[in-house]
Amino acid sequence: MSNNKVSRRQFLSYTLTGVGGFMAAGMLMPMVRFAIDPVLQKSEGGDFVLTEKKIADITDVPERVDFTFEQVDAWYKSDITNAAWVYKEGDQIIALSPVCKHLGCTVNWEGDPAHKNQFFCPCHNGRYEKNGENVPKTPPLGPLDQFEIRENDGFLEIGKAIPNTLV
Amino acid sequence: MHWNGKDSAVFQAQKEYIDTAVIPLIVIDGSEHGFGFAASAADYTLSLANLIENQFKGRIVLFPSFSYTTGQDKQSLLEIWKEELLKADFKYIFFITSDREWSTMGDEHDVIWTPSVPLDSMDQKMRNSVLEDQLRQLIPIFAKKWAN
Repeated sequence: MSNNKVSRRQFLSYTLTGVGGFMAAGMLMPMVRFAIDPVLQKSEGGDFVLTEKKIADITDVPERVDFTFEQVDAWYKSDITNAAWVYKEGDQIIALSPVCKHLGCTVNWEGDPAHKNQFFCPCHNGRYEKNGENVPKTPPLGPLDQFEIRENDGFLEIGKAIPNTLV
Repeated sequence: MHWNGKDSAVFQAQKEYIDTAVIPLIVIDGSEHGFGFAASAADYTLSLANLIENQFKGRIVLFPSFSYTTGQDKQSLLEIWKEELLKADFKYIFFITSDREWSTMGDEHDVIWTPSVPLDSMDQKMRNSVLEDQLRQLIPIFAKKWAN
């Protein structure tokens, strides 16, 4: 029994180690939390936005579909309305980004009466085929981006923009 | 393009494509009966200007609004703006306003006048559709100038 007795010296050293350990942990924990914070942040880029467009109403003529999402810019929250050109190709639904690959204007379907069945950018007369492919000898150097899409209860949901997969 | 550091760098690099300046004209009216109307018109004009910027991002630079009070000689102030912007090699300069006084004297100064629509009572969706309608009417005006 007497062997297990804790001496004054041992007691003090245990206590100091314990308290010191807590203090060290108290200092290190926030640092570790800060360091791994980016990993814990949930990503918002891949979220899908529900539109008011019924899947059944989509035709083979590109139609403009607006969708609104909330953008947080530092402390300032704002609703951003974005648009997509949506049409049906066979039984596949295509959603193209309306942002011209030249300098970022908004393109319109058949915006130029002289060129039917093409997207038209009014800024510098850029043109795109229906599948988003840029028409050679017009300013744009690449095809229109595409949006990820999925169906939710009969309605169209639009996700993030991806490089064109049709061209 | 907006009037900020990032876009101005693009402007400097792409001057051959970005050749148009757009400046909203906003009247500041302090009188009791004009205050609310002028504020509402300013809201409308600025929203419309932002939509124009979004449509023609790659060809125009949207400047901060030029505000003047009812008593100021706005026409000569306008000329000073124009002179300054010509230094930056803008080929086309458009002013956009819903101040009624420009409706009769706007043409020679490249002022596009649109009647203001009170947007305050509308929800976001309604606002957007009203502004989109207005934009559709403005596109040919820009296209016509550019075609010359």
